Amino acid sequence: MYNYKAMLDLSKLSDEEVVEITRTKNKEAYSEIIKRYQGKLMRYAKYLVNDNERASDVVQDAFIKAYINLNSFDTKRKFSSWIYRIVHNEAVNLINKYKKEKPLFENIDFDSGINIEEEYTQNEVRKMVKNCLEEMSLLYREPLSLYYLEEKSYKEISDILRIPIGTVGTRINRAKLIMRQICQRKKINKN
Amino acid sequence: MSKKKNKQKLEEKVMSQVKTGKISMKPKWYFAVGSLLLFSGVVSLSVGAIFLINLTIFTLRKRGPITCWRLQTMIENFPWWAPILAIVGIILGIRLLKKYDFSYKKNFVLIVISFILAVLFAGFLIDGLGLNDYWARRGPMKGFYQRLEPRNGFSKPGRRCN
Repeated sequence: MYNYKAMLDLSKLSDEEVVEITRTKNKEAYSEIIKRYQGKLMRYAKYLVNDNERASDVVQDAFIKAYINLNSFDTKRKFSSWIYRIVHNEAVNLINKYKKEKPLFENIDFDSGINIEEEYTQNEVRKMVKNCLEEMSLLYREPLSLYYLEEKSYKEISDILRIPIGTVGTRINRAKLIMRQICQRKKINKN
Repeated sequence: MSKKKNKQKLEEKVMSQVKTGKISMKPKWYFAVGSLLLFSGVVSLSVGAIFLINLTIFTLRKRGPITCWRLQTMIENFPWWAPILAIVGIILGIRLLKKYDFSYKKNFVLIVISFILAVLFAGFLIDGLGLNDYWARRGPMKGFYQRLEPRNGFSKPGRRCN
């Protein structure tokens, strides 16, 4: 009876409030957090590890780690950035374990003056990201997917990846150029 | 449909571990102790590095101008562990600083440079204030300092080189 009532109320609460309830009153409230985030985190993990099953493992481990360390979360901060950070760490650990990472174009210098958004609309860029993302190195794949597909702000991406906001901007700009090259190559190969 | 099933599976897997107590939250004090240890680590590494730099300056000063030394004697007698440990302390301190949130929000290179300069400045300041000479004459560190002071083969402060 108590659980059912609590669950009903939980849907109206913010992430941070649900976390506080999980920590102090009812640990089963954690299922609300899982419900809210598993879809988003699965999608994000899939962009990172390029594999459904591994992405599922990453997300499951991330939820378990998040629960174990829930008392270290500061409720004054954004829960989403915190949980995305855990998924990032888990994915990076997995990638290092399997060494499947493709360091494509990572060390090439690019002209920074080109603005890809002048040539394409936001929706077109988003489509390009979806199609060409898996061929990119993790360094650029991550900020790009967070920005265009997860629609996170620069500040949130900075908190998730623990890099300065300026670096987030630089990586996204470079990633767009790399993406354009990959997409163009893909088009040529198709034709 | 399979996506929905997968979602349910994931939720069930995690929640069953939560409900059965297979996984449990680490207590708040665990993280409080962690933060305290991190802070103490940064402070003690900084203080240690300052002390060792200050000790290096003291030893160099007591041995007089570098032209008066014979290279071999210097290599044999100089307490190299002091500057080496100071560098190790600074490196470890920087690694611990990286664990703080401000390390990625601010310019980390600037933080590192400021940290190194602050440690060096504090080392020189302690020597400049004459604390080393005071510790070498009295207090519990007297014996330790006297072991570092040169005996034969080095010029004494104020003495001319031959």
